[in-house]
Amino acid sequence: MAFQMTRRSFLQASASAALTTALSTWLASGAQARSGFVRKPFTAPGSFGDTTTVTGGVCEMCFWRCQLVGKLRDGKLVKLEGNPKSIDNGASICARGNAGVKLLYDPDRLKYPLKNVGKRGAPVWKRISWDEALDECASRLQGVIKNNGPQGIAIFPHGASATYPMHYFEKVVGTPNNSEASFFQCRGPRDMAYINTFGVQAGENVDMPNAKAILLVGTHIGENIHVSHVKQYLKGLENGAKLIVVDPRFSSSAAKADVWVQIKPGTDTAFLLAVMNYLVKKKTYDSAYVQKNGEGFDKFAKAIAHAELDWAAKICDVPAAQIKEVADLLATNAPHVSIHPGRHVTWYGTDFQRERALACLTGLLGAIGTKGGFVVPKGPKLGKVAWPDIGAEHAEEFALHKMAEKHQFSPPGTPTQMLRDTAISGKPYAIKACITWGQNPIQTIPGQQETIKMLQQMDFVMVVDVMPTDITMYADILLPELSYLERYDIVKTGVQWDLNDKHQQYIAPRMPLVSSVSADHQRKDSVWITNELAKRLGHTKQIPAPSAEAMVDKILAGAQLSVAQIRKEDGIHLQSGTDPYGMVYPVRFFNEDLADAGYSGAPSYTPVAEPPQGFARLVYGRVPVHTFNRTMNNVWLNAEIPENPIWLNQTTAEKLGLKNGDRINLVNQDGVVSVKAGVLKVTLGIRKDTIFTAHGYGTKNPAMTNGVNKGFDDQALITNPAVDPETGAHGMRTSFVRIMKDGKVLSIPA
Amino acid sequence: MSQYGMVIDLNKCVGCHACSVACRAEWDVPVGLDSANRKQRRNWVERLGPDATPHGLASTYYVGLCNHCDSPVCVESCPADKVAVTFSDPKTGEKKTLSVAATWKDPFNGTVQIDKERCLGCGACADSCPYTARYLFEEGGVPKADKCTLCVERTAVGLEPACVQTCLARARICGDLNDKKAEISQYVGKGAVRLESAKVKIGPNVRYYGKKKDISLLTQNSTPTALAEVNYRRIFMARMLRPSLKQLGSFKLS
Repeated sequence: MAFQMTRRSFLQASASAALTTALSTWLASGAQARSGFVRKPFTAPGSFGDTTTVTGGVCEMCFWRCQLVGKLRDGKLVKLEGNPKSIDNGASICARGNAGVKLLYDPDRLKYPLKNVGKRGAPVWKRISWDEALDECASRLQGVIKNNGPQGIAIFPHGASATYPMHYFEKVVGTPNNSEASFFQCRGPRDMAYINTFGVQAGENVDMPNAKAILLVGTHIGENIHVSHVKQYLKGLENGAKLIVVDPRFSSSAAKADVWVQIKPGTDTAFLLAVMNYLVKKKTYDSAYVQKNGEGFDKFAKAIAHAELDWAAKICDVPAAQIKEVADLLATNAPHVSIHPGRHVTWYGTDFQRERALACLTGLLGAIGTKGGFVVPKGPKLGKVAWPDIGAEHAEEFALHKMAEKHQFSPPGTPTQMLRDTAISGKPYAIKACITWGQNPIQTIPGQQETIKMLQQMDFVMVVDVMPTDITMYADILLPELSYLERYDIVKTGVQWDLNDKHQQYIAPRMPLVSSVSADHQRKDSVWITNELAKRLGHTKQIPAPSAEAMVDKILAGAQLSVAQIRKEDGIHLQSGTDPYGMVYPVRFFNEDLADAGYSGAPSYTPVAEPPQGFARLVYGRVPVHTFNRTMNNVWLNAEIPENPIWLNQTTAEKLGLKNGDRINLVNQDGVVSVKAGVLKVTLGIRKDTIFTAHGYGTKNPAMTNGVNKGFDDQALITNPAVDPETGAHGMRTSFVRIMKDGKVLSIPA
Repeated sequence: MSQYGMVIDLNKCVGCHACSVACRAEWDVPVGLDSANRKQRRNWVERLGPDATPHGLASTYYVGLCNHCDSPVCVESCPADKVAVTFSDPKTGEKKTLSVAATWKDPFNGTVQIDKERCLGCGACADSCPYTARYLFEEGGVPKADKCTLCVERTAVGLEPACVQTCLARARICGDLNDKKAEISQYVGKGAVRLESAKVKIGPNVRYYGKKKDISLLTQNSTPTALAEVNYRRIFMARMLRPSLKQLGSFKLS
């Protein structure tokens, strides 16, 4: 290395007294601030001492919404921490939460309204004023409404700030064509399955801290981080819960498991049916709960009677004895078992049925309202801010899945695949305007070429975002939004993270930690932007809140609170809660409504397409430092895990002459090659028929100067998505891949 | 005396990297490599495995930071002029004066610290650390060695170290290893291990606790097996340039 010494360093190298601050008494109670620490020019000052603490932050680096405080020095945010008053995340936040500072001050952030004077996909940006931007958006949306009706507008929202505009376009303007990634490419099948089994949404409402056994099917806590949820999981493990992980891959959770079921991908429902059938046949299920609260149990038992252990063992490629072991473990520990509903569940287009199976298994074990079971705690009541339903009837009439009598168990909105197909074909009607708000459909939705086709045929594309994600390249008008650290929006509520602790509820509105006004940008919040559009579209009278702050105030008023009061209470209002245990839900083991609509009334297994010879199935997941593509430009997060490794089975790698660290591309069944070579991770911890990578990498927009071309985009390889018949949600673990090394395509040996 | 250190409980750690990012935020640690290709970090998380161990398939994390070693080679390698520094024990008020270079081991709390004012920025300490726990902070054009301080600046005012505070798993246990009642000592009693090898036995005070298979994977992958060869040329150069000689040179010239 070069010898590093400058003239200045001689001058500064003085015999000053050394830093003798001692590690001492913070463990002792009531440690008083000893401010003997003096800042030195070469020593970073830290986030304490001369900073001020601002409360009222609610994180949105992901969507779990941990409560934050900000440390400010000279008006600038230097650090984010968990709000010590929080009964949810406490003083802890994850890597992403900690890196929020770098989103706030990311020089690549969108700053001004922009007009694309180039082409969609190859934009040339011209800075325009808000008035120009809003006038143009309004007149072009008005044009589409006039020519094609309100249903001619499609909206792709994501995140808390998108809720207000989404409801405006759905309820007031009257378009049904709303595709939320959080439903159709994520949780939709889960939520609909649980609603159609227990009558309530699943959430991730399992009482893991107090469970004696935890079953995770595909869920990989650790790679997927939601702070209070991880705390629940770890408390359960610490308390001795047996952890069962069903996953083709030795995930972060499998690494902590007592039983790892290395299942063949796509066969989870067969596994669950066999477990349930075994419990029924052996009569080790909770017959008292089932008798009292079950519906259609006999029909259900009959429908799954074929699912013998050996049948499932063959399908799932796991030993029958292991399925039995899992079933016995669950029965022994029932009803204190957490059957985790999962979160991202849009895997194979058969996902509603798998989620129904998870719900039915929960019911079969009587693990509802019990310690360790499925428990939905009661949160605090709030007020509401709602747009009037003046366009809802029109939206209902033009809802594509209702017109086609398909996907009768769709979550709210319109199934993405139908929406996109309609936009491309113009049948049964034209969809000519597209609004994306916080969502990046290029990477959330499989079949990128179709998405681009859909965008190209639009008369108008409007994008609102914080960062220049890939979708922003397709905007005609691009509007810059304030980040979660500069705006008011959602009011987060909940209860203490361990249900067995003192019953408490919390109310934590998102309030700005730093000023939203600065000379170097003109960003606005979504309430302001939506209201300005509504005024221009003739809906001034319908506006439910004049500003984001007023909206939050009105929501808080429903709990006899206000923004001013919450500020006095350090950002979080705490109140006493109720005992969450003892709740009873009916369990629709056989659901007649499903059967009437032509679907299977009992949970059923439908085989998914097998990889063709020479291919492996591509499955994807997460790394703990990223929230899909949203965080890819963050300089701190990027530094932690700069690219997405490709997991390949060790035996396969040896046969192919590949080794750890090799650079390889993936080629899918349609000949689509990953845009960039990824780094190979050779491991015993994955099946031979499966290749894994992390989702969200491979940003293409050069305006994301830090994230661009880092890693590769798995979504580009998912060109053959499935569609879940009940819900219309996508299935995205459907792609099959081979390996390309130095231009040569290698087949995966069986 | 006390010996502060840390135990990482790998049964709890989920590998989320919150610690390393919180540390960056707290101490303005830059990203990327320094000019000698050292990773700029005070604190890191590396995923290990899944891989075979004698105790079964395992995957865990190398959660690294400065080990505040019993016999820190970095301290020995520092070529800066030694000066007399008086240390005091916050518990007893006892004082001790030692002759130390720009980096030293505190006689009362056992942590290894750097005086940025006197650091020559030569990088000898960083090159000598077998755990690669040091790097050169070069922003502003005046290189200075940097590493984990065990957040003595925060603990002195009653705060937890930044990494400990943010750890959602409570997997980082910081405390006095010489206090037998401290939680950290209980972990030592339960068998928390040091990353030491036959050739690298310098008494690291970060220890790891976990299942046999995880500890096996960690020690197999992350134990340093050799001490860096001392770069005498660099140390010589640094000594030539140190302030006392410089002053001497100036004197001669004038």
